[in-house]
Amino acid sequence: MTAFQIPFGPQHPALEEPINFMFEVEEERVVNVTPRLGYIHRGIEKIGEGRTYLQNVYLAERICGICSFAHALCYTQAVEELLGVNIPERAKFIRTIMAEMERIQNHYLWLGFAAKEMGFETLFMYAWRDRETMLGVLEMISGKRVNYGMSTVGGVRRDITDTMKKDVEAKLNYLEKRAEYYRKVCTREQTVLERTVGVGILRPRDALNLCAVGPTLRASGIRRDVRADERYAAYGEAPFKVITYKNCDVASRIYVRIDEIFESIKIIRYALKNLPDGPFRVRAPPRVPEGEAVSIVEAPRGEDLHYVKSDGSEKPARWKVRAPTLANLPSLCKMLAGVNIADIPVVIAGIDPCIACAERVVLVDTKTRGRQVWTGEDLWRYANEWYRSR
Amino acid sequence: MILLEILLFPGFLFLFSLAFFTEWLDRKLVARLQNRYGPLHVGPKGILQPFADFVKLLSKEDITPARADRAPFVAMPILTLALAMTPLFCIPIDSLSALVSFEGDLIVVMFIMSLIALLVFIGAWVSTNRFGTIGGIRAGLQMFGYEVPLNIVMIGPAIAAGSLSVSGVVEWQSQNIWLILTQPLGFAILSLCLLAHLQRVPFDIPEAESEIVAGWLVEFSGRKLALLRLASNFELVLAASLMISLYLGGPTGLWHLSPFTYFIKLIICVFILSNLRALFARYRVDQLLSGTWKYLTPLALLQISMLKLLTW
Amino acid sequence: MAMERELFRSLRRKPVTLRFPYERAQPVEGMRAKVSWEIEKCIGCALCAKICPSSAIELIGKGRKAGIRYSVGRCLFCGECVDICPTETIYTTTEFELAFTGPKQMIVEFRRPKKRRKTTSEK
Repeated sequence: MTAFQIPFGPQHPALEEPINFMFEVEEERVVNVTPRLGYIHRGIEKIGEGRTYLQNVYLAERICGICSFAHALCYTQAVEELLGVNIPERAKFIRTIMAEMERIQNHYLWLGFAAKEMGFETLFMYAWRDRETMLGVLEMISGKRVNYGMSTVGGVRRDITDTMKKDVEAKLNYLEKRAEYYRKVCTREQTVLERTVGVGILRPRDALNLCAVGPTLRASGIRRDVRADERYAAYGEAPFKVITYKNCDVASRIYVRIDEIFESIKIIRYALKNLPDGPFRVRAPPRVPEGEAVSIVEAPRGEDLHYVKSDGSEKPARWKVRAPTLANLPSLCKMLAGVNIADIPVVIAGIDPCIACAERVVLVDTKTRGRQVWTGEDLWRYANEWYRSR
Repeated sequence: MILLEILLFPGFLFLFSLAFFTEWLDRKLVARLQNRYGPLHVGPKGILQPFADFVKLLSKEDITPARADRAPFVAMPILTLALAMTPLFCIPIDSLSALVSFEGDLIVVMFIMSLIALLVFIGAWVSTNRFGTIGGIRAGLQMFGYEVPLNIVMIGPAIAAGSLSVSGVVEWQSQNIWLILTQPLGFAILSLCLLAHLQRVPFDIPEAESEIVAGWLVEFSGRKLALLRLASNFELVLAASLMISLYLGGPTGLWHLSPFTYFIKLIICVFILSNLRALFARYRVDQLLSGTWKYLTPLALLQISMLKLLTW
Repeated sequence: MAMERELFRSLRRKPVTLRFPYERAQPVEGMRAKVSWEIEKCIGCALCAKICPSSAIELIGKGRKAGIRYSVGRCLFCGECVDICPTETIYTTTEFELAFTGPKQMIVEFRRPKKRRKTTSEK
């Protein structure tokens, strides 16, 4: 039977965000896949050049709704490095707590999303119901359910009081029990195992060569976690394990993420118990001295990287974001070769896609090996000239 | 008075309301199992929701794709609805014999159920849409898997009752014993194969929403979609009725003979089917085929051979 | 089969859905929602307009007599204006049900009440 092409996206019930994959299939097997990005390019890096450093914190938060704190944290760390300020210890601990809470709510969301892709609606409803508990805690601490506005240049904007701590502890116990239950379901439920074990294999060598990040990498047995390697914020003091599994399939990715929920709960408990006293914010000057800084954090989906270059004024000269999903896309294309059509949404869900994070434009000229970053105007001019001369 | 029986009870009007009621019951049960409400506002406790959905779909724009084969495309929903309603006339609802009963009507019911599955394939093929083609192929493949065990376990009660008529099986059960007690394995296999025939989770592979958008239904819209959904509800009623008539004794039982017994058993059977729907994730079509041929068919054959041994 | 017990338990529990509009979510204390001005305290420094990341605040007029035009549609509910105001004029409310029927309703204006001119008989 000849191969024919199926378009997957940009509008598709399986995708949260628009991305297009053109699959060439033969019967039920995928032979080739070509991704196309660009449907949700919003020009954030360009907008960022027209606003002050403090206003860009809010822009950074809105790169992605679910990993918003990770982006804000990464950006503020880069700016603080340019400024040369040391933020107080209490701020570092509060940032750690917020980051881990965001990780927990992200993994619950992901569990529901992956279950929906497998057709397991019940687990989807239950996981999202339990995620509401975490969102309630985040609302109590920061005032909002997403896009918290907690991290700022120089520390955090709000404090965690003692009355909040008791409530947080009770909710963490509940979430821990629920995570144990989901772990039991995902290791014992026959239909889940049939759909995820042995599906979407990514060998460790391929994972390293294609620069996979996050739980996708750790499910192939490689111990890389920015929290343990770089020890930013308070991760140098809070003890935690880096979770890896050896089976390289979607089931391992589920187990890695569920176990990470347990580790996050442990970190939050340690941080709440040992929260140091003191101020939680220092004032930062609006003008940033010249220089460039790179900052990486472990977002819930993997390694997130922000590069900020300043020219001495109060607006950044260049700001570049490399989100984890962009790093996982080549590995995704490798994983998708040879799967059944029925496995496509499961494998895509396995890397926790957040396409909104991933949309940046870099042009690499393969002939001259030169790299350029073009603004929108350059692209527009080039496109017009090209079509005129055709 | 046969005309009144055909038009009202247990004929068309009753069957239509039963189809809507069964859809409401299924949606409400699945919702409660998932800790949410289900239909709530249209009518008391949302009982008019399926009817409202049907009326809304009837009023929507009905588009036929330019390259689709026009005549089969238009005829397929109507045929499916007609074929889904027909076997219901052979099910005894308020007495020991149905509106239409003759020796061999069980075979006719099985034949019509296979025809419906074939119509799904044809409907998908004439839509000339990539997703539809994949859905249709999957529907055909699925049929290879569940048809054999389904037919075997439907013949099992006929062998025990010595009659190839659904009404005959019900009559035998009213005088002897409910067949679920002597053939429990057959009942379990029947539930699973009926789930595959109805295309519900874990076997809703031809219409898998997250993989191929709507599968074979993708090009049907407006009136055609309304008729197809209604046909799917009728199939649910048919499936529950088959479970009741062949294994649970039909309308006989605690309150001797009455349509209320049938009704209560219908609710129990729909509850079983909805529970199975909320419990599992979706299988892949190759897993379905290997599972049915490795497990279900041998078990069904085992059930049939045990019958012979028991009657010795 | 692993979820069967949980399914039966859910049958007995009340569903977690809130039946809006009969049941509503209660706002949490400290929640960041729409902000509001006590316009008599405003000194017209325009710091809030400068710091707003999405340019949702505009001054009407200048100086101590200035009013505020606040666009709820553009507001990020970040609270930066609340933090920076030197006279604590701006405060957060817990109004989060902010659906409007048109773009004009999204803009809220805070103006100072006009002082009554004294008439000749009162002088």
